Amino acid sequence: MIAAALFRHLVRRQGAFLGVSALLLTLFQFLICAAVSSTNAGDALETLVRSLPPAVQNLIATQFFGGFSERGLVAFGWNHPVAHALGTAAAIVLASRAVAGEIESGAVELLLSQPFSRATYFFTHVLFALVALGLLALAGIAGTSLGQVVFHLPLFGGGPLLRLGLAYFLLLCAWFGLTLAFSSVGQEGGRVAGIGFLLALGSFFAQGIGLLWSDASFILPWTVHHYFSPQTLLLGEGASLRSCFTLLAVAVVGMTIAAWRFWRRDLP
Amino acid sequence: MLALEVVGLHKRFGSVQALRGVSFALESGEILGYLGPNGAGKTTTLRILAGLVRADAGTARLLGEPAGQARVRERLGYLPGELRLYGGLTAQALLERFASFRPSRPPVLRPRLLEAFALGAGDLARRVKFLSHGTKQKLGLVIALQHDPDLLLLDEPTNGLDPLMQRAFREVVQERVSLGRAVLLSSHVLSEVESSCHRVAVLRAGEMLAVETVATLRERLVRRVQLRVRGALPAGLAGLPGVTQAEISGREAVLWVQGDVNPILRAVAQAEVERFVFAEPQLEDVFVSFYAGTRS
Repeated sequence: MIAAALFRHLVRRQGAFLGVSALLLTLFQFLICAAVSSTNAGDALETLVRSLPPAVQNLIATQFFGGFSERGLVAFGWNHPVAHALGTAAAIVLASRAVAGEIESGAVELLLSQPFSRATYFFTHVLFALVALGLLALAGIAGTSLGQVVFHLPLFGGGPLLRLGLAYFLLLCAWFGLTLAFSSVGQEGGRVAGIGFLLALGSFFAQGIGLLWSDASFILPWTVHHYFSPQTLLLGEGASLRSCFTLLAVAVVGMTIAAWRFWRRDLP
Repeated sequence: MLALEVVGLHKRFGSVQALRGVSFALESGEILGYLGPNGAGKTTTLRILAGLVRADAGTARLLGEPAGQARVRERLGYLPGELRLYGGLTAQALLERFASFRPSRPPVLRPRLLEAFALGAGDLARRVKFLSHGTKQKLGLVIALQHDPDLLLLDEPTNGLDPLMQRAFREVVQERVSLGRAVLLSSHVLSEVESSCHRVAVLRAGEMLAVETVATLRERLVRRVQLRVRGALPAGLAGLPGVTQAEISGREAVLWVQGDVNPILRAVAQAEVERFVFAEPQLEDVFVSFYAGTRS
């Protein structure tokens, strides 16, 4: 079901991009710890936020920052647009390249005439993505852990950080699954990636609107980002099984649709 | 032994009926030319055989197995018509990459192929995106052939190759066929099919017009002979055996001849020939000959 040679091919093909993404995420989380330890960022932000309307103040203080504590700011590092952008970009690019990207590059015809079945091709791509996204999440966690050690911030233990890593991984899997469903019917990797990014952006902003405006809060359960809350994971009651299950379900549904379409479609 | 058996293939893409009940077979140790104009359905057929496209109806068996099985692909060599390769890799890395997909069939023919196609260390060290179209095509042929496949599916294989490399390609293919390998060679160039193949399958608008030997096809072809002499033209040119049509004007004649050209040669041998052109037949001549047959 899995072709080792194809897996190695994917490592060589995507390795540099994923390595850079992982390095940037590690660096970013490390820098968040550095910022938290080296400046009185909490006070500065609290002063800044006081000048904003009460609804926005409430949103920023509780939902995004988890309060202006050091713990809240480190948790915010995982909800920061940069952290979202790095992981989501990796998930979307992997999914868009898996089918539509290979079709666009024109190599799919030669590649799929090699001795592996479509199922092997598909599941090798999925396995590779799961491993890559898992490592990416771990790289981010490593950045936070390293930052805590280097800057003497004994804020979170290994357990909560690993649970955060798992939730982040599931979020990325959800984006991978959704984009893969489009990739399996698409012809152009760029267009599929564009759809994936639009969905992610839409979800991110819809979540923001739902949090800012109570009348629009009904849209929150319909956004993917609603099910990933670093603040709840690190500062609240911990990992919500419902949230994890929802992200997993989105990923599985997306991948199932993709497998079903890929099995039936003509290539290229 | 049958290397390939295709029965009643149908394929529709939206409103376009690409294949309409295509059937043919290919024996081991044989080269079958798959001849047709652009859009005839040649590439669609080859993609179905390679398992890339699903047929709406009909069956295709390669080396005794249904098309698309991984087991079959192990023994298959495939060259796409629109060859696109990973441009960022060096040619050497690309060959290694594709060889790694077939661990049970090592690239035993690679040295022989690199020599035949004049691909040197300099070419292999360069990134694929910097190679010329012809060199990329040669790389595609090496990828398709390096593991010594039992069945080769080649879509326009000499596309972009210079005449010297076309000859090298023909030699390599003849060599493999003499060892019992089977080749399906798709082309829209009649001379290529004539010079390489044992039999020819003629496809037009998704329909198989005929599957016959190259000799039979040659017999069937209507070729054009242009002639100019000093003095008077020999009498009775239009009535010679095989001449289907003649345009005679003064010292010049244009004759369309089917089959043997020797009666014309014997007739003009008595005259002092100033110009004699026996044009290579084109693909459209094949179809003209088929329609002529249909009308008669």
